[in-house]
Parts: sequence; structure tokens; C-alpha cells
Amino acid sequence: MINNDNVDLMLVSILQSRFKSITEEMGLTLLRTTRSPILNEARDFVTGLYDSKGRMLEQTEYIPILAFALQPVCQYIIKYFGDDIFPGDVIIHNDVFTGGNQNADVAVFKPIFAENQLVAWAACKGHQADIGGAVAGGYNPEAREVWQEALRIPPVKIYERGKLRRDVWQFIFANIRFSIVEDDIRAHIGGCNVGERAIMQLVDKYGAKNLQAHIEHLFMLTEQKMRDEIKNIPNGIYHGQSFMYNDGVNEKSKHKINLVITVKDDSILFDYNGTDPQTPGFANAPYSSSVSAIMLCLLMVIDPDIPHNHGLMRPIDINIPEGCFLNAKFPAATTFGNTIAGPHSDAILKAFARALPERVTAGWNRALCVATSGSFPENDRKWADILFLSLKGGSGATEGVDGYDHIGLINCAGGLLAQDYEMFELHNPLFLLKHEYARDSAGPGKYRGGLGVVTEFVIQGKDTTCVTFGDGVDIGAFGLLGGLDGTLNRVELKYPDGEKYIAKTKEILKDIPTGTVFYQHAGGGGGYGKPSERDNKKVLREVKQELISPEIAKEIYRVNLDSLTSKRY
Amino acid sequence: MAYKIGTDVGGTFTDFLLADDDGNFEVYKTLTTPEDPSIGVLNGLKEMADAKKLPVVDFIRLVDIIVHGTTVTTNAALTGNGAKTGLLTTAGFRDTLQMRRGIREQQYNNKYEAPVPLVPRELRCPVKERVSVKGKRVKKLDRDSLLECLRMFKDEQIEALAVCFLHAYNNSINENEAKKIIQEYLPDVYLTLSSDLLPQIRFYDRLSTTTLNSYVGPILKNYIMQLMHRLNENEFRGILLIMQSNGGVTSPGNAIKNAVSTMLSGPSAGPVAGMAYAETHNYRDCITIDMGGTSFDVALVKDRKPLVITNGKINRYLTAVPMVDIHTIGAGGGSIGWLDEMGLLRIGPKSAGANPGPSCYGLGGTEPTCTDANLILGYINKDYFLGGKMALDYNHAYKVIEEKLAKPLRTSAAEASAGMFQIINANMADGIREVSVKKGYDPREFPLVVAGGAGPIHAGMIALELEIPTILIPRESSIFCATGMLLSDLRHDYVRSYNSLLTNKSLEPMEILFNKMKNEGEQQLLTEGIFHENIRHYFSTDMRYVGQYHEINVGISEEDLKNGRLKKISSRFHQTHDRLYGYSLKDENASMEIVNLRVSSLGITSKPGLQQRAFRAATGRNSVKSERKVYLPESKSFELIEVWDGDRLEDGIVINGPAIVEQVNTTIFVPAQYKLIPDRYSNFLMQLIT
Repeated sequence: MINNDNVDLMLVSILQSRFKSITEEMGLTLLRTTRSPILNEARDFVTGLYDSKGRMLEQTEYIPILAFALQPVCQYIIKYFGDDIFPGDVIIHNDVFTGGNQNADVAVFKPIFAENQLVAWAACKGHQADIGGAVAGGYNPEAREVWQEALRIPPVKIYERGKLRRDVWQFIFANIRFSIVEDDIRAHIGGCNVGERAIMQLVDKYGAKNLQAHIEHLFMLTEQKMRDEIKNIPNGIYHGQSFMYNDGVNEKSKHKINLVITVKDDSILFDYNGTDPQTPGFANAPYSSSVSAIMLCLLMVIDPDIPHNHGLMRPIDINIPEGCFLNAKFPAATTFGNTIAGPHSDAILKAFARALPERVTAGWNRALCVATSGSFPENDRKWADILFLSLKGGSGATEGVDGYDHIGLINCAGGLLAQDYEMFELHNPLFLLKHEYARDSAGPGKYRGGLGVVTEFVIQGKDTTCVTFGDGVDIGAFGLLGGLDGTLNRVELKYPDGEKYIAKTKEILKDIPTGTVFYQHAGGGGGYGKPSERDNKKVLREVKQELISPEIAKEIYRVNLDSLTSKRY
Repeated sequence: MAYKIGTDVGGTFTDFLLADDDGNFEVYKTLTTPEDPSIGVLNGLKEMADAKKLPVVDFIRLVDIIVHGTTVTTNAALTGNGAKTGLLTTAGFRDTLQMRRGIREQQYNNKYEAPVPLVPRELRCPVKERVSVKGKRVKKLDRDSLLECLRMFKDEQIEALAVCFLHAYNNSINENEAKKIIQEYLPDVYLTLSSDLLPQIRFYDRLSTTTLNSYVGPILKNYIMQLMHRLNENEFRGILLIMQSNGGVTSPGNAIKNAVSTMLSGPSAGPVAGMAYAETHNYRDCITIDMGGTSFDVALVKDRKPLVITNGKINRYLTAVPMVDIHTIGAGGGSIGWLDEMGLLRIGPKSAGANPGPSCYGLGGTEPTCTDANLILGYINKDYFLGGKMALDYNHAYKVIEEKLAKPLRTSAAEASAGMFQIINANMADGIREVSVKKGYDPREFPLVVAGGAGPIHAGMIALELEIPTILIPRESSIFCATGMLLSDLRHDYVRSYNSLLTNKSLEPMEILFNKMKNEGEQQLLTEGIFHENIRHYFSTDMRYVGQYHEINVGISEEDLKNGRLKKISSRFHQTHDRLYGYSLKDENASMEIVNLRVSSLGITSKPGLQQRAFRAATGRNSVKSERKVYLPESKSFELIEVWDGDRLEDGIVINGPAIVEQVNTTIFVPAQYKLIPDRYSNFLMQLIT
């Protein structure tokens, strides 16, 4: 099927699904071969393919927040190395001031050559267990500049023309605490090799020039589809505002995100003028991280099946003034940046709420993470865990559908798995007492927010440290159109001597004694629409299921509970 | 004369393969009777009796073995019509089943809801008890909290009950105590203990599987009782066997106990059949594809064993019992072509099904399907569909494709059909990559065994895309799974968690656990009437490098275990890891960790063999039927090519592509790059011309 431009639409269609399938294959390789649980259990990585100009062909992301941060890096690398790129090169990068989204999110790029020319790039990027800096794991609430957070890796070749640069490799890993990271970077290279092999087969079959022509057409069609999606959003100027709390330096601080979305026909502008300046601590976002937050919220309000390639980005304009805390200037500390997606998404959802009330959700529970580490009592073996199971709260409700229970932070949009209890106890000296839905945690509404969870465990190990980084203890996930807020987050330590301590959202707690009981409440999502309009049967059923207390049912939902006295319903 | 029957209940048809002592195979098909599928089975038996000119009872008395594949458990899980089920679980962990570890499969879709849990919260009852990760009982089972749950279950009139306590794989004392009390209070309830069904680590996996077993157990039980009743009424004296998801068969009693193991009863027989055909050409491996009306199933067989997974999902519910790794995509003869919002042509997963079916059937279909495209392109002969039993409406199909696809694409109906053919082939090639490339296997090293009515039209082009050199097309490719059932062995899978580093010291405890499972398998097979000399046991371990989270399953020989050949055991792991993921840590001397031990016990049954037919001397070109215009993908044009009669091909004949080979039930398209040769088993071999 040939049209005027000599483009075979069948081939465009085949390429699009083939690119997707290749990035999935690369992702599967990473999932299976990496050793750090944050990669293979939490799936905190992305794989992508880029054309010779560094434009995204497709990506597979399990976790959206690092998804849209590879294209700018790829383009930076192309500019940086110029002609100095050869078959067999492998390039590594993490620097947040040259396109990276987080210091610990390390990307590996491999140029793909065929017919004696550069035809494409394969890339894998994942969250590493350690990246140097002052504290293990990289989350350092006390950091004030980038050098206290991480080893900066502007692009550097670790392989040149197929040969390992042993000196460079050893230099990098001499600055990283865990040898597991070395294995994981090897797994990233393996993922790129899988992508390289598959692209070379495509070139072999269709020819480089022909392939590029069809890629341009794919970009064009995707851009057109994106413009059609934007046309579905009513023209207008939409304002959204939200706050991040506690920059880790001043507990009482409050930081405004000011967003104006302008939709005009088939173009859209996200403008962050008026957003507060960068903070002195680590609660700042690099530009790429903020862009990913925008993209993930945008994909939630349009047809999400649109191909994820360069064409998708073309109609979108973004202005985040340099020096505000969503686009921090060198040499700011920024490790908290991805977590700012919580407050940031609130501003975006609120802005879209006026434009697309049926598509947007109420607020999602903001993550409060507790990176916990220590050693086993019997053999001093070290362990570390980010306690995903306890931080996953509920999502915001939307028109027609309740929020998703225990889904977790919006950055991950349901892609982050809670640990299995038995594996959790096998890997960590922690004894679980409870992990259940938290009653009355969901923000009430015609559609209720997703349920939050309560987790309790006994700390049985030695030298236990908890590093908290998060938000959501000052305000709950916001309700929308008459819906109410979800519950607040809370982390509490009950020491063996009976003392209790309520953890702050960004602090390091050291030497937690054996026998301490850890308690976390991850809040529910925001409700949508007036609670009094909720279907009474649903309320009664959840009272019976002990997910809603009789008091809330009576006072907030205005439901008569007399019918509950009979055993059956 | 004695008979063996394989019968596969599908969505539309119930397929039968009747084998007699002389090795003759006959195919029968009846309409499936969804309200009680055993009626359809009996209808088929009656049809066979008629064909043999025998009264039904006299015919059935001659049947030795019926192997049966059923979809009742799958349907119950898919439609939510399982038994009313209760769940007993450790206090503090009441919601694990519903949480599903908090995953939302569609990241950006905020309207996507979690599936309704198999057991609602009010029927998930927490019991005070606790076993530690090391297997120590740290809290006794609290009788009062248990009795309170049981009273509630009684009031609620549950039909089935699942019990899953934390770390019960390691110490089942509390589950066993609960069982005693349950049997006293609720003797008629279908009961599953997690430590009986699947004693392996990972709470959610075990919980979900145990619950699913109870949820579908009573349904399967009622169905099998009904089927046995109907057979007994007709004086059936033979053995009834039920096909399981693991590619083996079992006795009705065992199937009822492990109901969740029949979730893929049916499709799982496909790879078994494929292997039998591949073996006639001395292959030990193959990839099987089965293209039906709505779906395309792919599976890979390595060393005569179908690949098996332990993380299968049915309707988003996890099941961790071993099942044959069958990858299904929505591509079949009825798959509908449509244009997405970018104006790109897509096919499936929506299908016109059997009713109304493709437009060319003339039964009211108005959507452009894959079959319609194949008709326009000349691959299907409109006057010889089902041997001429069904006339096809070419003009209607043409009009539908023209209106719905060609005009919006500004092209001709023929070009649009060619596009459909190309895209559905690409989709199916991707489906094959899922089970091969993505698992570390190179598809070029496997013969492709092709089944399903539409499969042989597409197989050549799919194989070309993947550079697969050899394609095998069985003559009876339309009832692939019923064939596989007759060729399956009895199979039981056992698992025990055993967490330890792989060292010399761990071998002895491993051996003890392996032998326990082996004995269990031996006993089970003996009670199913298998003689000792026909029993085989296969040991394997789920292992990983220390620090990894995902295990891989690696075979381990009894010999190596007994003789403490640690090196051999570990090098096998390194090799498998390297194949799957492209690297191993052999040189780094990384330590390995064992998570689970598994035993598969096989009872080898006597099977009807595939028979060679008499030699047919080549006499020339007798079997060329005609010529017709067919669309050729290389030249993108219609050309006149030869049509051969598949039922009359003679030995020694080589048909170079492009060509069409027609039989009553299937049509083969031989692309220009391939040649077709009939083999002595009445099957067809297609080979890449080098």
C-alpha cells in the first residue's frame, strides 16, 4: 500500500509494534537479570530505542517517572561526542544537569550501526542500589549540593569499539558502595545488546534509508494523533496550584507550585511561572523529572494507547523557569525530585479538573517512603529495603470509578509491586504483624478514593536505620467536586521502653533498638463528587466489610444503617 | 476391536479423535452444549457408534480409554460463576487476596478497575495463629477465633473453603489442626489447604492458587460426576482420564482434588500433539501454533517437554501450579480488521467468532475479517470451503473490505486485504517471539508445527518472517488438541520450599525431600493403575544467584544428587541462566541459592502410534487440480499458480512455491521461498529452499 510519499502504511504499523516489542524484550532482560530488588521487584527502570538523531522510537516503562528522561540525554550524548561514536561503544550517564532525572537513575546507551552508519540507539536506565555520595542508597535528606548525593557521571564511554575501558569502569565502581551495582550495569548493557540485535535485523530486512523514511511517517502520524487529542480539550487557560511541605531543612517550610495550562486548538503549554525558588535541601527536581511528571499526568487524561515516540512530544510546550524547585540550577541537591511528582501532579490534576472533569482523578496519596537498613542479629549480614508494601496508599477517584486501592504513588501508577510477605521476612529481619486496608482511609465521595493500608512489624535486627523521604502528613490527597480528602500519612516507632516517636517526612533515624514496632499508615486517595450521592448499597456493603465505620456512614454518607441488623443483605 | 478416544470441548465444537487397535485415526466433531458439556460428549459417542453401525452401548463397551479436556473451570473463573467460597487466613493479613500486591495492569488508565476478588472481604476470616519464616510455630491456632469463622461460614452457606496461613509451606501444623476442626463442623464443604496443594514460599502466589482451587473445585466435581454418570449409564467399562494444564493427564478423583490444575485442560494438549508429529521427523523440539477462529496459541517444546510456567494468570488471578506455557494472542480467521485513530490498519483482538462469523459466510457478518481477506487474495477457494460444503460470498466480503478499509486507506480492496494478511502475520510472528526469543531460544532452530483451520495459509509467511526453515503441517491439524490428549502421559507435579545455599551440605536434605515427593508421585500413579516400570520421576530446583529475586527452574538428575556432583548441578544452572539472560556468573564464582524443589512424576501410558500409510508411487502430475490467481506477497500482484490436491499427493513429489495445496479441512499456501513434500504419515513438510 503506497501513498504519495512512497510510504507503506503497513510497514509503519509493523514497525510501531515491532519497536514496542523490542523495548519489552529489553525490559524483560533487565527484569530477570538485575540483582537489586529495586530493579527486579520494584521494576524501577525504563528501556528505549532512539533514532540516529536521538528521537524516541518507543519505550517500555514500568514506572512512568523516569520514562521521558532518556531522549534529552540521548540528544545530549550525540551533541557531546559528535563524530566520536563507533560501533561497539557503550556510554553511561546519570548527570541531572545534562538531562538526567535523578542521580541514582543511571542510563546506559549503545549506538547501533548498520550499513556503515549510525542508525539508532538502544538505552536502558534504572534506579541503582547505590551511586556514591554521602549515604548508601543515595537518599540523603541532609544533602545541600549534588556532590553530597552522588558521583556525577556526565556521558563517558565504558566500552569503546567493543573493548571495555577497564580504567574508566574501575574508576566509576570504586566510587560506588555495592558490587551489585556493577552486575546491574552489566545487565543494562545486556538489555542494550538485545535492542541492538533486533534493530540490526530490521535494517537488514528493510534497509536503513527506507526504515528512516517510515520512522518519520510514524512520528508524523503520532504527532497528528496527539494534536487530535489536544483538540478534544476545550480551549482555555487553566490554573492549578499545590504545595510541597518540608524541604528537609526547615520542617515548617511550604513550597508553591504554580501552573498555568494554556490549550489553544491543537497545542498545549505548561507554564510554571510563579513557582517557588529552589530549596536549600534535596527537595528539588531536575527538569527531566518534572517533564516526566507532566507526561504521566497528561497520558492519564488522553487516550493512553498513543505510541510513546518523539511525535507524542512535539505538540507540547513546557516552560519551567530555571532556578525554581521544579528545575533546579547547578549544583543543587535533587534526589527528592522524583518524589515531588506527588505534589506536582496535584497542581496538574487540579488544572485539568476544569477542562476535563470526567477524565481527571482526585488527588493521589503522596508517598512517604522509609528506606530501612541494618544487619541480621545472628550473622551480621547486611540488609536494606524500601518497604514498598507499607507506603502504597490509594489513588484518587474519578467519574464513574472508585480510586484504586493500595496502588501507591502516582510516579509509578500501579507499576510498583508490594513485596510478598514471606519473601519480605526471608530477606529482612522484620516480623510482620499486620498489612491490611485501613478503615475509613479512603476520601469519601460519590466515588470514593482508593483505600490506604496499615502496616506493622517488629524490628528484630541490629543497627537498624530508617531514612524517611516523602510528604502527605500535612494535607491528605485532595477531594474533587464535593469529594473529601483521603487520610494523612503517618510513620510511628513504638520503642521497647514504651516511648513513641512520630517520624518527620525527611529525616534519618539511627540505632533503632531491636524489638521496636514500626507502624505506618499510608493514606487513602481523594474522593470524587458528593458523598451523599454515593449509592447507598455500596456504603452499606463496605460498612459490613468493615472498610467504613458506622459513624462515617451515618455522618458523611448520610446512610441509614438500620438495614444492617439483619445477617444477610 | 478396542478404541481409544480423545475429546476436547471447545467454545463452538467438541472435537473427537477415535483411534482403533490398528492405528487408524478418525475425526468427529459435534456442537458443544454449553449448559452441560457432557451432553455434547455423549452426542459424539453416539455419532461414532452410528458410523460403526453399532448400538451406542455396544460401541461404548469397546472403548478402553477416554481422555477428556474440559473448559468448565476456566469458564467459571472467567465469568465469576465459581462456588461461594470462604477464606481462612492468618490474622492481620485479611486483604492480601484482593490487594494482588497493589498492581494496576494499565498504568495510565484511571478507569481501569481491579478485578472482583474471588472471595469478598466479609468471607475472608482472620484466625489467630502464626508460624515464623524459619518454620517455628510462634502462636498456636486459636480454636475460638476459628470456630467463630466456621459459624459465620455455616450461616453464609459457603460451598467451598480455602485455608492459607503464613509460612505454612514450612510448617503445616496450624493448617492441619484447622482442617480437623473444619471437617467436623463443615464436612460437606470443598476444602483446600495451601500446604496440601502448593507447599511453596510466596504467600500471595499460594493464597491466590489455593483460593482459586476452592472456587472452581465444586464446579469441576459436579461436572465430572455428571460425565461419569452418563458414561456409566451407557455401560462404559474403560478408564476416564482428565487433561491437566501441565500437559499430562490424571484420574477424575485427582483432578477434582486439584481442580485449579485443569485451567488449561484442552490447549495444553496442543504441544503434546506437536511433539508427536515432530518426532516422526526425528526432532526433539518444536514450536506449535494453533490458529483458530478467534485466537492464536503458541507453545514451545524443548527436549520433548513443553515449557512450563508457574506464574500463569486466569482473568488477572494468579495461579502458581505448573501449566504449559501457552501464549495466546487475539489473531484468528474471524479477527476483525480496523483502522486506529492514526489511520493505521490493525487486526484483532476483536473477532467475528463463529456467529455471525466472517462476512463471506453470509450469516450476517458485516466486518472485514482475516478469512475475508484470505478469500479476496485467492488463498481460500470460494467453491471448496470445507470440501465444498459451505459456499462463500466473495462479493459481500469484497464490498465489506472495500467500504470499511480500502476507501478510508485510499487503496483497492485487494491491497487492503494484502495489508491485513501482512499485519496479522507480523502479529503472529511476534507471538512466536514471546515464547522463543524472549525465553532465550532461537526460533530458527525449531520446526514449526501448524494447527487450526486457518494456520496452514499463514504458516509459510510467519515462518519466513522468523527465518524458520522447517514447517510441519499435520493432516488432522484442525483437531490438534484432541489428538494431543490421546498422546499424553499421566503427570503429577509436586513442590516443596527449601531455602538454602547450594553446598555439599544441602544435598542430603534435598535428597530426602525429593524422595518424599517421588514416593508421593509413585503412590498416586500406582493407584491410577500404572505399573512401576512405566513410572518416571523428574527432579528440578528453583534456584537463583544470591541476591536475585527471581528463580529459574533447572533440572537435576537423581544420579548427580546421589553422588554429590555439586559442580554438575551448578554448571547446569549457570548454563540455563546464560541462555535465558545472556550472561552467567560462573567465572565470578557467585553462590547460588535454592528456593523450591520440584518433582514431576510421569506414568507412561500406552498410546496409539502414528502410522505410516502405504507408499504411493509418483506417477506424474496427477494431483494438480487446477490453477488459480493468488496474491503473491513478493511481487505484490496476483499471479496464476498451481493448486494441488492434498489428499492425493504421491511420495517423491516436491512442490515448489508459490503453490496452493488443498484438502477438505485446510488449505496450505506455499510461499515462493518454500517447497512442500508429503511425508509417509500423511502429513506435509514445508522447507525453506536454500
